[in-house]
Amino acid sequence: MANNAEDIENNMNQQEANRSPDSTQKPQETGVPRARSRGGSAAGAGAGTGGGGDSGGGGGGNGTGPEQNGQPPAAPTPRVVEREEEEEDEELTLKYGAKHVIMLFVPVTLCMVVVVATIKSVSFYTQNDGQRLIYTPFPEDTDTVGQRALNSILNATIMITVIIVMTLVLVMLYKYRCYKVIQGWLFLSSLLLLFFFSYIYLKEVFKTYNLAMDYITLAIIIWNFGVVGMMCIHWKGPLRLQQAYLIMISALMALVFIKYLPEWTAWLILAVISVYDLLAVLCPKGPLRILVETAQERNEPIFPALIYSSTMVWLVNMADTDRPNRNSTEAASPQQEPQEAPVASPVPSSPSQDDGGFTQSWVSQQEHRLGPLQSTEETRREIQQMPSARPPVEEDDEERGVKLGLGDFIFYSMLVGKASATASGDWNTTLACFVAILIGLCLTLLLLAIFKKALPALPISIFFGLVFYFATDNLVRPFMDKLALHQFYI
Amino acid sequence: MHLIIFQWLVNDYFCLIFLLISPGGFAFLPFLWLVNVVWFFREAFLKPSYTEQLQIKAYVKRSALGLLLWVAVLTTWITIYQHFRAEWGEVGDYLSFTIPLGIP
Repeated sequence: MANNAEDIENNMNQQEANRSPDSTQKPQETGVPRARSRGGSAAGAGAGTGGGGDSGGGGGGNGTGPEQNGQPPAAPTPRVVEREEEEEDEELTLKYGAKHVIMLFVPVTLCMVVVVATIKSVSFYTQNDGQRLIYTPFPEDTDTVGQRALNSILNATIMITVIIVMTLVLVMLYKYRCYKVIQGWLFLSSLLLLFFFSYIYLKEVFKTYNLAMDYITLAIIIWNFGVVGMMCIHWKGPLRLQQAYLIMISALMALVFIKYLPEWTAWLILAVISVYDLLAVLCPKGPLRILVETAQERNEPIFPALIYSSTMVWLVNMADTDRPNRNSTEAASPQQEPQEAPVASPVPSSPSQDDGGFTQSWVSQQEHRLGPLQSTEETRREIQQMPSARPPVEEDDEERGVKLGLGDFIFYSMLVGKASATASGDWNTTLACFVAILIGLCLTLLLLAIFKKALPALPISIFFGLVFYFATDNLVRPFMDKLALHQFYI
Repeated sequence: MHLIIFQWLVNDYFCLIFLLISPGGFAFLPFLWLVNVVWFFREAFLKPSYTEQLQIKAYVKRSALGLLLWVAVLTTWITIYQHFRAEWGEVGDYLSFTIPLGIP
């Protein structure tokens, strides 16, 4: 799946590493807040205890402390400096990696909670109305198991083919700079999602709780929700609100999938999509990889529209392309393409060369910003296909953040939702899948911190999720039932 | 519909403010005004004053006013509707989006 968590801080790490030789001139005792300057300075006195102390992942850092102490107070050799830089780098990475994991846990958990809560309470999403998506034309209520298996394999094949085709179309459009088409597509699909699917959702919720609602109030509610959502996602808005909208849209999309995909097809699709994600992002000729690389060459962000970002990013020095940049840092031209989802956020009006103001405001505001989210059948593929890569050059001195594509949210929620809907082990299975996905997410972010490039976020989590689901449902649950039956507590 | 965007360098802050002052067709956006009020409240009233703050204050106040008006209207309408829905017979059903089952 295309969603990759990408570490925005990559470039920051580079910058840090580059800067640290300069900082080594400072005396150690000043307790530099950046806490990285334990690189042996000319004074050579202090081990980086200051630096090592305040980093979470600073095991390595502390370890090198005594070594530095033992060194003569001469200027460190370049090799030592380099090693220290690397260690600092790693420390930085690990420290920020840990924080980002937590920052991503919350939205993923929220999305899953919303989906599970809806599945449990609103029966609409688990009813089999006999309707199917056109992408999965083969029914699963057949006579024989073999027929059912065959049908589900065919369904999954059709679905994955559609996804591949969509991805390729998207990459082609991107490569040949047909930005308008892509933006229009994203705009339409978020429109559909925000208005139509939320209308259905509300209808079902009202039916479930047996409330009366009139068209007038409903129209006002949906109108408000939709318009503010479109604004937040495609233009600007408070970060929290944007994040909330993205989570809601992911949940809506996941619910649609849970309703309309028959059981075996759903599991198969999950498995196949993870494999596809892996291939598409990591293989040299994979479409997503091409997309990421093209975006990096052009110094552009990749469709912030489909990506959840945990921090706000200021785009500075956007490359001058033919498409207007949302966060143009030029004060002169505040042209904002309403459709271009910015990952960037507030546009500074005054010339943004004022870095001091940047950092300060940034640190003090601490906003998170989410890219818009898309989720229709079509754009879901995009989402997945959309790696959340950010060209490192664009970022400049802001907080590190991690991005996760919306398709990832959708598929994680879909897995957990399906588990809660159809598992015989019920809450056991749901919780097991939930934990599995979070573990997978942790591992993915760890890998991200190590490899520092766009990675697929689906494979590990989905793999764990599937394993846990089938294991819990078929092994753990009967075991627990037997134990309870015999009143045997372990 | 006027879309007003303020970008201020204020006390070393970059704040982006967007307020939607909506006459006419787009007047039905109380949620947006709620967002405005909540988001910019701190900026308008709790920060030490700066030159542009007066304008921001004015806009926040207008948003709050619009919001209050809408809340009043909606509350009234919803109360009336829920109370009298059953009695209105056909008109009530026609207005209804979901009709609860059972005896009202």
